[in-house]
Amino acid sequence: MSATLAAPAPAWALADRLAEQVGALLRDGRAEEALPMLDRLGLLAAPHAPALRAEAMLQLRRLEEAEAAADAALSGAAPGAGLRRLRARIRLARGRHAAAAEDAASAVMAEPHDTGGRLLLAAALTEEGRHDEAIWFLGEAWRADPGNPVLQRRLGEAFLRAGRHEAAAELLAHCEALAPWTPGIAALRAQAALLAGDAVAAERMTRGAMARGVVEAALHSVLGHALVAQGRLAEAGPHFAAAGRLAPGNGYIAHLAAAADGTAQARAPEAYVATLFDGYAPHFEAALLGLGYRVPGLVRRAVERLLPAVVQGEVKLGPVLDLGCGTGLVGVALSDLLHGPLTGIDLSRRMLEQAAAKGLYTSLRQADLTAALREAGTQALITAADVFCYLGELREVLALCRERLAPEGLLLFSLERAAPGTGWRLGPEGRYAHAPDHVAACLEQAGLHLLEACEEDLRLGEHGPVPGLLVAARAAGS
Amino acid sequence: MEAEPRGPALHRGREPRPPMGEASGRADPGSAARSPWRAGLAALAGGAPEAALPLLRRAMEAGEGGGLAPLNLGLALMQLGRLDDAVPALEAAMRAMPAHAEPPFRLGTIAGLRGDPAAAEALLRAALARDPGHVPALAALAALEEEAGCIEAAGAIIDRARAIDPAEPELDVTAARLALRREDPTAAIAAAGAVLARRPAHAGAARLFARAWHRRDGAEAALEAVARRATADPLTAGWALAAAELQAMGGNPAAALAELRTAAMLAPEAAEIRAALGLALADAGRGAEAEPLLREAIAARPTDLGLRNRLATVLWARHRPCAMLAVLEEAIRAFGPQPILLMNRALALNVLGEQQAALEAAEVAAAHRGGGAEAAMTRMAVLPYHPERGHAAALLAAGREAASRLGPAAAPPARPRDPDRRLRIGLLSGGLGRHPVGWLTLAGLEALPEAGFELAAYSLKRREDEMSARFRARCALWREVGHRDDAAIAAQMAEDGIDILLDLGGYGDGGRPGLVQRRPAPVQVKWVGMQNASMGLDGLDWMLTDARETPPGFERFYAERLLRLPDGYVCYTPPPGAPPVAPLPALARGHVTFGCFNNLAKVTPRVLAAWARILAALPEARLVLLTHVLGEAAARERVQERLAAHGLPEARVTLAGGVPHGALLATYADIDIALDPFPYTGGLTVCEALWMGVPVVTLAGDSFCARHALSHLGNVGLPDWVAESEADYVALALARAHDLPGLAALRAGLRARVAASPLTDAPRFGQALAAALRHAWRDWCARPTGP
Repeated sequence: MSATLAAPAPAWALADRLAEQVGALLRDGRAEEALPMLDRLGLLAAPHAPALRAEAMLQLRRLEEAEAAADAALSGAAPGAGLRRLRARIRLARGRHAAAAEDAASAVMAEPHDTGGRLLLAAALTEEGRHDEAIWFLGEAWRADPGNPVLQRRLGEAFLRAGRHEAAAELLAHCEALAPWTPGIAALRAQAALLAGDAVAAERMTRGAMARGVVEAALHSVLGHALVAQGRLAEAGPHFAAAGRLAPGNGYIAHLAAAADGTAQARAPEAYVATLFDGYAPHFEAALLGLGYRVPGLVRRAVERLLPAVVQGEVKLGPVLDLGCGTGLVGVALSDLLHGPLTGIDLSRRMLEQAAAKGLYTSLRQADLTAALREAGTQALITAADVFCYLGELREVLALCRERLAPEGLLLFSLERAAPGTGWRLGPEGRYAHAPDHVAACLEQAGLHLLEACEEDLRLGEHGPVPGLLVAARAAGS
Repeated sequence: MEAEPRGPALHRGREPRPPMGEASGRADPGSAARSPWRAGLAALAGGAPEAALPLLRRAMEAGEGGGLAPLNLGLALMQLGRLDDAVPALEAAMRAMPAHAEPPFRLGTIAGLRGDPAAAEALLRAALARDPGHVPALAALAALEEEAGCIEAAGAIIDRARAIDPAEPELDVTAARLALRREDPTAAIAAAGAVLARRPAHAGAARLFARAWHRRDGAEAALEAVARRATADPLTAGWALAAAELQAMGGNPAAALAELRTAAMLAPEAAEIRAALGLALADAGRGAEAEPLLREAIAARPTDLGLRNRLATVLWARHRPCAMLAVLEEAIRAFGPQPILLMNRALALNVLGEQQAALEAAEVAAAHRGGGAEAAMTRMAVLPYHPERGHAAALLAAGREAASRLGPAAAPPARPRDPDRRLRIGLLSGGLGRHPVGWLTLAGLEALPEAGFELAAYSLKRREDEMSARFRARCALWREVGHRDDAAIAAQMAEDGIDILLDLGGYGDGGRPGLVQRRPAPVQVKWVGMQNASMGLDGLDWMLTDARETPPGFERFYAERLLRLPDGYVCYTPPPGAPPVAPLPALARGHVTFGCFNNLAKVTPRVLAAWARILAALPEARLVLLTHVLGEAAARERVQERLAAHGLPEARVTLAGGVPHGALLATYADIDIALDPFPYTGGLTVCEALWMGVPVVTLAGDSFCARHALSHLGNVGLPDWVAESEADYVALALARAHDLPGLAALRAGLRARVAASPLTDAPRFGQALAAALRHAWRDWCARPTGP
């Protein structure tokens, strides 16, 4: 017969039961099953509702709602360290690293011996680029619990992020020997080897881990990079594809997979560029200079050639917009010629930090270059050194440059060179190459007048110099 | 290979409607004497029908209570779900009280539950002739009319009943359901809403409310309407139930489960809600949580066949076949030999190793008018195990019978007939992970060249393990389709442009032969996954095989064309992290220990007889059987009895239940020689034994599954471990057991031998598979394009 309801229990007792059940579901990682109960707890204005909701939303990766709920929970009376840690986790997941560090720091102050708090703080500090502090907190945690392989892995990772490859390799090797099933350990070790320049060892480590049955996107990704570093591009493709399938939300890997597979989009996703250069930042300049990177010098020489009045001090140069400024090498190359504002745009916050340290830029913005161009003022010079190689389709960005150039303004950009008649193509390293005739046609369509397109070697690649173009253009009719 | 039927197809069936009305005895008011009659009535009224039974029987014998005594006895038995026992009591009551409507009404209800609508109608009309105002009889009659599709007639009867008893909410619910069937959702919403206003946790009303709103305004508007009510009235279970119904209709079982949990929290005493939650948990594969809820629900609704059958399937998944059989046998007593119960009974008996009884049950189901294709498929799930009838020719005939019930295959879809282009290969399976299908296909599929073959997975069961991660890493397209029906999956495959479909399910649990017959791909191939014989389907073009499985001349046993691979038809993925091979245990023990870690379904009486002869000839030898169902104490006892009947000495046979995979592999350290069952031989089990250094004595037959072990042993260069008769099998086992130095030497080098053999050579297999698939594709491209 039909279901009948006994007299409804007092709402407060029901709220307690609901909260208990929600807590149990969240402990089992079943946030989705708790949602309607959470709605009801909210409607009942139950005291635990916001904290439980924050935890559930974090599990479901609905991070904005999670942070709002955590804010609500923390606005209650006497918030504890647990809530601070919860919000730190949410903020970390959202990429709000500084704010996460704040929460984690308060949690550590309140409960100095809690390992979870220290780990969160270290993670946030690492993301902030504050490697020494992160390493200190992790070291503290590790000393308190030296047998914990996860702590070792985290410390090794922090050393790796700080560019201290040797220390990282040693710790990670120790950790893998102690606990070979620690999640991510094999990929990190291999990455350390790769960053230290030993692609063969990196390949050996990743393949060894796979043979042991470890299945992780990071392993395939590092193996792909290790193969690319050895010039074995065709073999790398399936590993980038595998990594992409295992980590479907990762834009960086998706782009590499698409590049390897030939199903490229018209430009590299922002996530790819940001991740690539965030990863590079601490040692980017050294790496580029080591590779014979010539583009900033080529930009300087083009300015000397095409704007003689500037070099002779007759005309003041500025304002200048440096698209994809990276660590600020173009700023360095032009520094003595500048008389107006120099604005740097980059997707990688870490790169911008390095550029800021040079003290040459009047402003630095973390933005996509087309978005930045839409908002920029009129520029005397726009430079894009090693940037358009992350775009396949150039028409939009060139048209935007045309709009921002002053009447006598100059546009300078470098490209990787493809054979004439091939338009553009995405190479397996994830960068685009453009044919000179295609570039000329794009410039014309954008209302730009090609001044020169010099064939130059941009830097040393795996197989010798990377052939490129340094292109100079002015607004047509000016 | 690959029998390991970690589950053939289970039959869930539809949930019948709950019965109308409740049992009630009418005691004479004012009488307090302690006669068996009164005590029986008191027990019944107090909710103790079991206690009432002897009292009412005594009352009947004493002539107390007149016809009311057998009537109440019948009611008590019905409450206990013992419908078969209730019938004679009710018939006695009907004779004793010629004017009383209740006995024919109850008998009519039972006839309806047992699937005999004509008898039910006659009895209900007899009840109404005795009492034209009998509302439950009217309601039951309306239900029969509704089932027969006579909505108008049903509506008229319900209107009559409502005029008699306007306060009965069940009548309003029926009225709402009929309104919906008449395409009048507005009336249905009003009627269901009125019930919910009175009974806020009424499951049926909440569901109808949701369905009617959905029908009238669409899914989104219905969800919004229900959400609005839930916000205004957050403690009412009905709105959570309505939301659950809508989420389930929208293909979102996780959200539906969440709503049901909420409803159960809000109305903890509502049996129907707990039943719905139990069913949803069972569907989500969470048997441990589902079982107590389903048992509770059955106690509250003993006349619900669907609940009992669902509990049986939950017990199956929990490797408790004896508990499953108990539930099914009780249900068969109550509801009669309905096909769905018989089919699941066949599967339970089979997994206990009672092949003959299993086949009999499957054949009764197949002969039943309601058995249909499902019953024929169940017969195909048990026949390959049968010691006498499980041979290749009989399997082909049974497969063709199943195929004829499924109907002819559809025409293949059009695909570009370029013989050399990159092909999209569809994998249809519930085993893409840690499962025999995974262990026997993964390494080969990983090695299939990406440049020529793109893989698209149609996963029938979500799995999260390191093997499934490797499948995901190899597949360009991944679709979880387990909740979708054959037609929807076939349409999806056609839309995805599948060139070659690999069926990896066969007639097993979650297999989709009906989908294969819809022919979503131009080329369809049977591979691992209950690959035990020809499937007999005209929708399958090829069977992947090898020359040991199907030597020349075996074509006559197959409806499919044979696509022979040069080595074996599978590639084994050795488990990473398997323990090292241990030294031969017999050297330390001084006697040989045999082992068989196969599914008991494969262990037939003839296998037991052969083993008995082996143990009799080796008085010190031991035998270890290890498999999941032996974890159930009742199953162990049942098997123990059978072993004893075959003369296997109890003291020398160890029965062990399932253990985690790593522990299972480690157990081979105790085994000197594996004894393979027949006619359904070991597949993955043979590969695992060999990897662990344990050679396998096998007997080859003529069906595909009778030659799995032969194929694997041949592939690793051990063809001299294959017997050709049962006498040979015994002799071979004895000869091997007498040669300990030979066994020790073989064991020491066996893993290296397997590692170097084609059985595990993934690159070699990948190339061979590529060539075979390309051959099948070119064959299709070269065929004339028909209409």
